[in-house]
Amino acid sequence: MRLTTEKRGDILLIALKGKIMGGPESAQFHEQLKQAIARGERKVVLDLGGVEWMNSSGLGLLISGFTTLRNAGGEMKLARSTDKIQSLLVITKLNTVFEAHDTVEAAVKSF
Amino acid sequence: MNHTPDFGGIAERLAELGHLAHETADSLQRDQISTEQLKLLLEVSRETLRGAVVLDLLREADHRRQENETFLRIGTKLSSMLNLDELLRTIIESLRQVVDYGAAGIFLINRETNQIEADFLLGYEKSDRQQLQRKFKDGVPIGEGIVGWVIQHSQPVVVPDVLQDKRYISARDATRSEIAVPIIAGREIIGCLNLESNELGGFTEKDLEPLQTFASLVSVALERARFHRESIAKKRLEEELSIARRIQLSFLPTKMPQFEPYDLGGLNFPTLEVGGDYYDFIPITETDLGVAIGDVAGKGVGAAILMASFRASLRLESRSNYAISIILQKVNRFLCESNPPEQFVTAFYGVIDRRHHILTYSNAGHNPPFLLRNGQVIPLDTGGLLLGSFSDAEYEEARVDLYPGDIMVFYTDGVTEARNEQEEEFGVRRLLNLVQTYRDLGAMDMVRRISREVQHFECDAFTQDDLTISIVKVR
Repeated sequence: MRLTTEKRGDILLIALKGKIMGGPESAQFHEQLKQAIARGERKVVLDLGGVEWMNSSGLGLLISGFTTLRNAGGEMKLARSTDKIQSLLVITKLNTVFEAHDTVEAAVKSF
Repeated sequence: MNHTPDFGGIAERLAELGHLAHETADSLQRDQISTEQLKLLLEVSRETLRGAVVLDLLREADHRRQENETFLRIGTKLSSMLNLDELLRTIIESLRQVVDYGAAGIFLINRETNQIEADFLLGYEKSDRQQLQRKFKDGVPIGEGIVGWVIQHSQPVVVPDVLQDKRYISARDATRSEIAVPIIAGREIIGCLNLESNELGGFTEKDLEPLQTFASLVSVALERARFHRESIAKKRLEEELSIARRIQLSFLPTKMPQFEPYDLGGLNFPTLEVGGDYYDFIPITETDLGVAIGDVAGKGVGAAILMASFRASLRLESRSNYAISIILQKVNRFLCESNPPEQFVTAFYGVIDRRHHILTYSNAGHNPPFLLRNGQVIPLDTGGLLLGSFSDAEYEEARVDLYPGDIMVFYTDGVTEARNEQEEEFGVRRLLNLVQTYRDLGAMDMVRRISREVQHFECDAFTQDDLTISIVKVR
């Protein structure tokens, strides 16, 4: 998993790439979120366009990111989730809690 | 020596009592007993069953504790023989009898950062030590300083006057001369043994040979310590996997219950890493049978423990008379209270009523099982969110009439996401075709045949996930 961040106004854009398998790798992701929340940021867009593969622990990473932000009074939205991730979200019915957008721009605008 | 109470026996007895209380409550007419009394009796039944489940968990935990204690004893013994710091101190102190020095240091390459770190220091004043530690805190690049030069060139060096040497980085004010030799393990340079003197020309070429001998002693000590660290880590991992494996196995059905006219079959093939697949047939009453399949996120002991909580909670709630949607809601709340949100379970739970031939079910984010009827495929996907992440989740349930010839297929993603060497997924289509092909076999034989084909498909490709299939046929 590779991770890059970018600011778009008051929105933090986090892009994940490669294989998302949760576990020890997720520390980096959580560190970014923790720092962002400490800086007072509450709006996050997670760009999943570059994700090749995701397992159940990877899904756990999305869930904990989502709940971390929600507990801080913020929100995390998804952008460019691949067909595979979209079908995972439908099966697990996470599509009923996660807000997903086709493009990063649409996700950014939706805040 | 085992003074542990017979948890298993007590649990069994408690479970019997619980069922007895429940049956008594069932058999009593409402006009013979007050609502309060009935409530109390049901409460007793519920609490006793809860106790039985907790005891079951305790028994497993106690077993684990005993194993861990044994392991810890061996570990402590090993480490007392092999305290690396003590060993290095002994080596460096005995070196003084051969080559006198003001201060000595062992510097090693950190293979992850490729920087040099100070691993052992002797004879540095507190302030020197702080200075040195500051310098080496984030490591020093290979090639920098005299130590770095020795490591880069894999050559010993004698520096009669450090202030005249451009490579020198001061780390100790009193130092006037220095000698350093590489530490070599096998054919690889792993670090540097460095001595400092307060006198000009404190060391000569003649000191190199004994110093190199001591450097090889240091290398042996380090290698031995590394070897034992690795073998302890390996042993610990093996222990952990075997515990997780046993927890998981103990929770899977060993024998299919008899539930005429329904024909039941199920198998789980765990991976080496121990995933968290679970399937179950839970006899509830003479006429009602619970059918469950679940997949716990993650692997190893963590997944096994989450699966244990899920199973205990589901089995407990399934014996209550609650609607299935409420049962899943309760299981979900229980898992949310006891686990962080990223640890979740996807699960399907249904009850087959064989008097009326009805399946009532709710699907909590699990790959939809399907019902095959005359070539028609009906996905069983009514339900709600996966379990254990969102405490306010609510679940819908659905009722399906069952007819002779119907086949229900339950599976985990280990089946549909199995990949061959071309990275193709097995997929739902292949699974459906196989069910059609083997539809005339008994349920258990169907499960065996289909799982064999999945494994054949995966061939030598690396197996990522547990594989679980269960089938219910209506005769």
